[in-house]
Amino acid sequence: MTEEHVLRCVLMLCCALLSANASNWLYLAKLSSVGSIRDEETCERLRGLIQRQVQICKRSVEVMDAVRHGAQLAIDECQFQFRNRRWNCSTVETMPVFGKVVTQGTREAAFVYAISAASVAFAVTRACSSGELEKCGCDHNVHGVSPEGFQWSGCSDNIAYGVAFSQSFVDVRERSKGQSSSRALMNLHNNEAGRKAILSHMRVECKCHGVSGSCEVKTCWRAMPPFRKVGNIIKEKFDGATEVEQRKVGTTKVLVPRNSQFKPHTDEDLVYLDPSPDFCDYDPRTPGMLGTVGRHCNRTSKAIDGCELMCCGRGFQTQEVEVVDRCSCKFHWCCYVKCKQCRKMVEIHTCR
Amino acid sequence: MAGAIIENMSTKKLVILGVILLLFQALAFMVGGLMAPSPTSAVHYIATKCVDTAKHRQEKKWFMPWGPNQCDKIWTFEEAMAKKIEANNIVFAIHMPLPNKEMSPWFQFMLVILQFDIIFKMYNQIQDGALASIDVALAYRDDTVSEWTEMAHSFEQRKLKCNFTTTKTMDNEGRYYECELLPFMEIGTVAHKFYLLNIRLPVNERKKVNVGIGEIKDIKIHLSIHQNGGFTKVWFAMKTFLTPSILITMIWYWRRITLMSRPPVLLEKVILALGISMTFINIPVEWFSIGFNWTWMLLFGDIRQGIFYSMLLSFWIIFCGEHLMDQTERNRFSVYWKQVGPIVFGSFCLFIFDMCERGVQLTNPFYSIWATEVGTELAMAFIIVAGICACLYFLFLCFMVFQVFRNISGKRMSLPAMSKARRLHYEGLIFRFKFLMLVTLACAAMTVIFFIISQVNEGHWRWGEHTVQVNSAFFTGIYGMWNLYVFAIMFLYAPSHKRYGDEQSSDAGGNSGEDIQLTTTITHVDGPSEIYKMVGKEAQE
Repeated sequence: MTEEHVLRCVLMLCCALLSANASNWLYLAKLSSVGSIRDEETCERLRGLIQRQVQICKRSVEVMDAVRHGAQLAIDECQFQFRNRRWNCSTVETMPVFGKVVTQGTREAAFVYAISAASVAFAVTRACSSGELEKCGCDHNVHGVSPEGFQWSGCSDNIAYGVAFSQSFVDVRERSKGQSSSRALMNLHNNEAGRKAILSHMRVECKCHGVSGSCEVKTCWRAMPPFRKVGNIIKEKFDGATEVEQRKVGTTKVLVPRNSQFKPHTDEDLVYLDPSPDFCDYDPRTPGMLGTVGRHCNRTSKAIDGCELMCCGRGFQTQEVEVVDRCSCKFHWCCYVKCKQCRKMVEIHTCR
Repeated sequence: MAGAIIENMSTKKLVILGVILLLFQALAFMVGGLMAPSPTSAVHYIATKCVDTAKHRQEKKWFMPWGPNQCDKIWTFEEAMAKKIEANNIVFAIHMPLPNKEMSPWFQFMLVILQFDIIFKMYNQIQDGALASIDVALAYRDDTVSEWTEMAHSFEQRKLKCNFTTTKTMDNEGRYYECELLPFMEIGTVAHKFYLLNIRLPVNERKKVNVGIGEIKDIKIHLSIHQNGGFTKVWFAMKTFLTPSILITMIWYWRRITLMSRPPVLLEKVILALGISMTFINIPVEWFSIGFNWTWMLLFGDIRQGIFYSMLLSFWIIFCGEHLMDQTERNRFSVYWKQVGPIVFGSFCLFIFDMCERGVQLTNPFYSIWATEVGTELAMAFIIVAGICACLYFLFLCFMVFQVFRNISGKRMSLPAMSKARRLHYEGLIFRFKFLMLVTLACAAMTVIFFIISQVNEGHWRWGEHTVQVNSAFFTGIYGMWNLYVFAIMFLYAPSHKRYGDEQSSDAGGNSGEDIQLTTTITHVDGPSEIYKMVGKEAQE
């Protein structure tokens, strides 16, 4: 190895350590211009990846498309789950994707980490099943395949590969920090919790196929839950997330609930370190902190989507607008909708 | 004088035989549990959404989901919407198996199950009784470069049985319906290395084809199920080992019977028939499926199993009937028509049903009798009739067993009045008869228990470092058990050459006159010991 090479490596490592956020790879979802990630050179040009992730990208280029779809899936699901909250998971055009909101160890950050780790596992598993990846199945880890193994005893679930890949790709940033900081511990925990949301909700389905359709032979398999369900599970964990702090037990550092009266969190629970801001006001210094001015709210609701809470007590405007809505539509199962246009008047409440 | 071996065998030898059989039984379980992988495995596939750009195509084009010459893909249907691609231009492509793998004739069969992922949309819900019309084509090839050869092409209809578990509100849009799995395809031999499925869901509004099936997000060929190659190998090995064993026993048994001066009695014939049907099931003709593309192997296997089951059931009835110990002369098959009738009729119903399902699948692998309303009713009718027959049969059987035991206890009453030697012999006989009944019951109970375990269990138990494949153990164990059962019956009920009283003098007493009397009185106890009657008479003369 030349001196120059070493120097470059060190520089890159420094850059990686200094760059703002470990969920930067979610920026992949924004890279629609890149097209399909086909060769190793594209890996270098991808923004948002740290050096170790670029290495993984080079090593398994074929998986990167799935990772990108996973990133998109995570953002979509986040926006769906938070559509009625003050922070609605809106993305900004720069990195990090969600602005500065997730750079602190807040509940929201916990959610974003969990959903993105889950989404990568999900998307990679799906890509396995559709035959896009050559490495998965037939083995419980990321290394190696054996056709003989397939013929002798079939293949293991692809989910094992998906989860393993998610662990190596998403967690790599935290691992490279050496697991010392409390933030790294929190992120790792939440990543794992996100993947657990899939793993512990796998459905077991069975099919009988014996003589004359009897149940003499029964084959069972595990099926992944739909991603919407995964999102719901993680959202529930978000609502019941535990505030933790770092403590030293023996030689290892662990996260324990800040309030010792709470029962300790499980592997599937989300944890956070810092209380969330109120997300009420626009803050130009914090990208992604858009505030709730101009957001629609629900006048009758008492929950967070109600005008009272959403507008942070600033009050709201009510407008009567004519909307053109689609009605008496004809649908096909895909890609075709023919509708009449119906006009109707609706009241829209907007936060001041 | 000769009797059945079971009567002349000392208790010690009987115990030794029992232990040996138990050892073989344990071996059969272990072969399945430790050597074989699980019997079947399921592979998930998610269909790739290909775009068929050509308007009118002359020759058939095959769409490959991956690899060289792969089709134009879309990731989501939103993408299709933006590109103005219509439903009719979308082809779902599935390549089996996944990359870098090959199918193998060892898989024996392949079963494909379809699952639609349908999203709930407030204004585009699944209508009641919605039918999905599926235009499907299956092709194969044996290497990665040659052209695809069409294997089957069909236009199938499947009823969508979906329900939405949460409330149907705007808020829940985007959640999935829970749809029942649709049996989609079944092939009885996996002779080729690569298979390709192209599925279309053509929409025709005028003919109301594929209208009102909701918004499909994805097609999962949820999976294809095949028998594991490893299991097939272990299974074949077992069959190859068992065939000569049972065959030799059978030949030995029949030679013994033909060596006798009298014609064989009914029970002996039935036991032979049982042996033949067991051999028939054992003969490993499946070896040919490795070399030849015999699609009917699955159906043939069903028929073989059916013949064995009905033979076994008939055997039980006749066995009980011949042990009734009332004074009626039976020994004719026609006496048992009432009991055997339901068995024959029931198996015939199941045979017709199987022909309707797997028989038709020989020509159209996508056919399913459950797909149509009429077919479902017909299938249900066959199964219900077969079920009624089974109930009827078991009533008869239970009644007969009850009668046998009543007669036995009747004989027991008169036991104290007999001489000691005679009583001991009688008691021994009844014990041995009961022993066989017990073995039968134990075998049946084992079958049921293991069946339930294999149904409830996840398929394998971890035991230290070893993984025990419960399902495989169930198959090999139960299969081995019934083989041992047939073997034991043939062995123990073969006529004995042993001279009565040679070894069992302690049992039967030294007096030969007592012997003769004894044998004549126990004529009715046991079918195969009819011989006693004649031999006794000869001796008296």
